[in-house]
Amino acid sequence: MAKPRELRRRIKSVQSTRKITKTMELVATSKLKRAQDRVIAARPYAAALADVIGDLYAPELAERFPLLRQPAGKSRRVALVVITANRGLCGAFNANLIREARRRIEQLEADGVGVDLHLIGKKGITYFKFAKRPAVSQRTDIGDKPRAEHAAEIVGPLMTQFASGALDAVEVVFAQFKSAVSTPPTTLRVLPIAPPRAAEDGKGRQRAVNYILKPSAEAILEQLLPLYVRNQIYRALVETAAAFLGAQRTAMKNATDNAGDIIELLQRTYNRARQAQITQELAEIVGGAEALKG
Amino acid sequence: MHVTVVSPEQGVFDGSADAIVAPAYDGQVGILPGHAPFLTLLGTGVLQVRHGSASTRFRVAGGFLQVVGAGGGGGGGGGGGGGETVRIVADRVEAS
Repeated sequence: MAKPRELRRRIKSVQSTRKITKTMELVATSKLKRAQDRVIAARPYAAALADVIGDLYAPELAERFPLLRQPAGKSRRVALVVITANRGLCGAFNANLIREARRRIEQLEADGVGVDLHLIGKKGITYFKFAKRPAVSQRTDIGDKPRAEHAAEIVGPLMTQFASGALDAVEVVFAQFKSAVSTPPTTLRVLPIAPPRAAEDGKGRQRAVNYILKPSAEAILEQLLPLYVRNQIYRALVETAAAFLGAQRTAMKNATDNAGDIIELLQRTYNRARQAQITQELAEIVGGAEALKG
Repeated sequence: MHVTVVSPEQGVFDGSADAIVAPAYDGQVGILPGHAPFLTLLGTGVLQVRHGSASTRFRVAGGFLQVVGAGGGGGGGGGGGGGETVRIVADRVEAS
């Protein structure tokens, strides 16, 4: 059995670990609340934009806008934007995202498609460096609070490349924020644009006709399509940030609970060891007294 | 009429108004209650939302302005009911 002093040392160490994980849990919880608000706050813009584009979109326009161009035949080159967190201590969150990215890369490469990797977040960068897979671009400066400008910087060059025909598609791997506990890694194709609710009922197009449009449906679409693409990336960033905090909170809660269990176990072992020592000392004293009597 | 102003990051304004002056792509555009369904691109400039004597101002850039009729879409064609919704969806918005 371990010595009582050794046990005391271990109890102290686990207690201080628990203090840290508990604090991280609380910090993640309060940040999660704000991140969740950001996810919700971003919805009206996305909905309004999708609404108008869905209204104005007509299949015959597709050929005129480079961003709507469906690749003729097989894709040759696809850009994959992989969003991961900058930090760990969040369970399998980053590992899941990386696994999803790897799955998609393998799938694309099996089809003979070249993949340009664009990495966002330290964890993804570290992994692909380890896997010796070069990335076209990487950045780590987007923290818990992504801004619309970040999305613009990421997707701007990709849109240009797509429009010029150097890329046949742009996809993003991110953690979809369904709720704080459900954040499935997802691959979303942002380019070519899948027109929102692609005028499937014909009603959408009629609505657009009844509007006074200035300057014209085409000119409006031309301006709004890039905003739509940008917004999809922005949402991916915001949702991943919120999902990360959710995952971190869960991981830290589990760690805190586990630390509590370990402390309890160690405490019990310690008590037993202490009692055994007392019993032994008593036995020795009694034994000594008996010996003197004799 | 009901007015909402949203940026990519958040809803900035949600309330009723008597008049709006917005910077469209080719100059100022004024919206009064009863406006026909309308969709225009925004340029860069100051957006004013007037309600009574109060006026709220925002600096906006990019995006669009949409007037949705009381019926929820086009087709109503004016009517002066004032029940329409004006959506201002701007790429950048700052309180001014």
